[in-house]
Amino acid sequence: MRNIRYYILLCILMGGLSIGAAAEEVIAIKADRIDTVTSGVIENGIIVIADGKIKAIGNDVEIPEAAEVIEVPDKTIFPGLVNPSSRIGLSLPATGGPVSNPHYRVVDELYPHQDVYKRILGAGFTTVGLLPGRRSASTGITGQGAIVRPTGRSPEEMIVAESGFVMIHFQANDKVRKVITSALDSAKSKTNSTDPKIKPLVNALQGKVPTFVICNSPGEILHLTKLLEPYNKMKPVLIAGTETYRITKELVKKKIPVIFPAQIDFESNTRTRINVPRMLAEAEVKIALRPEFDSVSGHEDFLRKMAELVKSGLNRQIAKKAITIHPAEMMGIDYRLGSLDVGKDANLLILSGDPLDVGTKIDKVMIEGKIVHEAP
Amino acid sequence: MSNKHIRHVTRMLLFALAISMIFVISPLSAAEEVTAIRGGDLYTITGGIIKNGTILIEGGKISDIGQNIEIPKKAKVIDARGKVVMPGLVAVNTEVGVIGYRNITKIADSLDPFDFSVSLALASGITTAMVSTGRLSGSNPIGGATAVIKASYGDLDQMLVKESVVQPVMISNRDWLRKTTFKQNLRKAQSYLRKLMAYQQARDKKKAEEPKKPRGLDAYIRLLRREVPAALTASTKGDILAALELVDEFGIRMIFADAVEAWIVAEEIAKRDVRVVINPRQKQRPNEDISGPSGSNLENAAILKKAGVKFAIIPPSTSFETWGVVGRDMMALPMEAAFAVSGGLDEQTALEAITITAAEIIGVADRVGSLQVGKDADIIILDGHPFHHKTFVESTLINGEVLYEKAKSLYFSHITHD
Repeated sequence: MRNIRYYILLCILMGGLSIGAAAEEVIAIKADRIDTVTSGVIENGIIVIADGKIKAIGNDVEIPEAAEVIEVPDKTIFPGLVNPSSRIGLSLPATGGPVSNPHYRVVDELYPHQDVYKRILGAGFTTVGLLPGRRSASTGITGQGAIVRPTGRSPEEMIVAESGFVMIHFQANDKVRKVITSALDSAKSKTNSTDPKIKPLVNALQGKVPTFVICNSPGEILHLTKLLEPYNKMKPVLIAGTETYRITKELVKKKIPVIFPAQIDFESNTRTRINVPRMLAEAEVKIALRPEFDSVSGHEDFLRKMAELVKSGLNRQIAKKAITIHPAEMMGIDYRLGSLDVGKDANLLILSGDPLDVGTKIDKVMIEGKIVHEAP
Repeated sequence: MSNKHIRHVTRMLLFALAISMIFVISPLSAAEEVTAIRGGDLYTITGGIIKNGTILIEGGKISDIGQNIEIPKKAKVIDARGKVVMPGLVAVNTEVGVIGYRNITKIADSLDPFDFSVSLALASGITTAMVSTGRLSGSNPIGGATAVIKASYGDLDQMLVKESVVQPVMISNRDWLRKTTFKQNLRKAQSYLRKLMAYQQARDKKKAEEPKKPRGLDAYIRLLRREVPAALTASTKGDILAALELVDEFGIRMIFADAVEAWIVAEEIAKRDVRVVINPRQKQRPNEDISGPSGSNLENAAILKKAGVKFAIIPPSTSFETWGVVGRDMMALPMEAAFAVSGGLDEQTALEAITITAAEIIGVADRVGSLQVGKDADIIILDGHPFHHKTFVESTLINGEVLYEKAKSLYFSHITHD
């Protein structure tokens, strides 16, 4: 008798599961243009999405019967924007230092339900790399960053990857240098350590996670590349300042990508305007661009600023990569997001035109197959 | 194998060797390329003026200099006809090329080859400079770190010349607490050195006891061993005489900065071979409370020269600025020396005061400060006499490489004298 009861229970459970699977939404979007970023533009294309992932993409894609079809004949589909370095929704970072605090995680600072997240979602950002900072000092090894979606009711729902990268804030002086090198050297031999102060550094040293480094002036970057020379498996990503264009040769040689604000700068001590993203791109430095101001309005102005950079010479295709796949690659999350390719998360924007045209409006924002924002 | 065969193989091998030699040598010879500066008036500083002379540069050093020098065919030639060619200027104390002056202890870790001041230094003809860092705390008279750097814009590896060249010391008659500490610590260090010497000279090492090195006195020990000179501000006659007493008592080397009243006690300074740094334009009212001469004197430099004192010249402001009163900072270093000339100093000594003597004071005269074979090819080409107010630096070379050209300068290219 007992066995029969189990069978019945099992049947109910199975039934429940199969109903659940059937209820899993399949969506098909038919659009005028699909800009995949990595595999060109598909005119009159179709994207099939199931389980929040892109199942198929192209012109001759069969739409499953059960699919909910969204027809947007006059719209452009573009991957959701990726901001690789932000403190949006978090307090100002601490000051002081230098320290080595690799165990500090920005995840512990995360505070969902903030209006700022809704707003940047509306600005097209589906992925954000959050930098650690509150309890750490401003120089040295300041903790672990996280990759999050700006939506969700709990930190768990927001997190895409918990410890996305290790964060270093470099300054060219002997104290900061000593703190960083002694921490890295002590982690070098302890590859199996589970110590929360060691393990993130081991991961960074082995290149399992990238290392984001804030380093402002070109002179300091030269000191930094020298300092990192012995740690050759490390994957440094530079969060850099205006004059970075002066050392493009060094960056290309060392294959160091750069995160740069989407802004038009002045050449130092002059009123001559320069387009640094363009200069970096033309020197073949890999770039990711982020909002000039790390505020809601900074995020909302982002595509307009990007359009300005393109207008003044930045290659449009590189500009598109610099706000999607490049930042995803820099954070090591490009296997999941950053472009419209089969198998990737269905993070996408439905736009009224090309994302880098000034008049373009964001109609809908989708994260992992769910529409999370619709223009009013 | 026959003999013929072997000969053939040997010939082939030699041929292959020769070919490979060409490939091996060619990149080397590219690095060792020759530059020639031709046709200028060479102000060598240490060897007079060579009219219509030629300088050859190889491997970043001056390899030949003179009037009848054959220029190698492959040499890169810089035409300096009608120009003045002289060694890059040396500034004994500036703020250039360092990130965060106050908070650092090791200058080498904080050099900034992209500092805006570095590009201004090149434009001003200054190729070598001493920088200092650190701030004073409490009664500690020992200042921060010093280093001699080159204005090698964009090139971090060539920037540092020498570290810890002088020991800044902050004592004056008004600063009695620091001065007392300085004296006491010198005495402690001196007694340690005496004990150490006694121990080293002792025949029976077992009986003798090796003295313990006192803590925190390394700077004093270096001063007593005459490894570095103490650099201190000594403006008034009183300050200078008090500092000279320390020279007499401890036998340390010294540099006086800001020595406005040095002219009053020039003979005393000369006797002790103390070096001096002056700003010829600095003004100071005579002190009515003391008898005898006091205050600044336009003839300061000329009087020091007559007495045999070696001195360097720097402007009142030691920074490079594009704002503020024009001509009072490092961008007008030769002008400052020209003011010494207007006070009666001969031109040669005035030139030395911003080149070779300045280099000697900061301990790098073996490498820079004059146009001599074997020295670093830090050379400036001017469109006129260095002391003329119209004169511009046209090109600046560091280690044989042209790092500045006025014609390409964003800031100066448009300024002409037609």
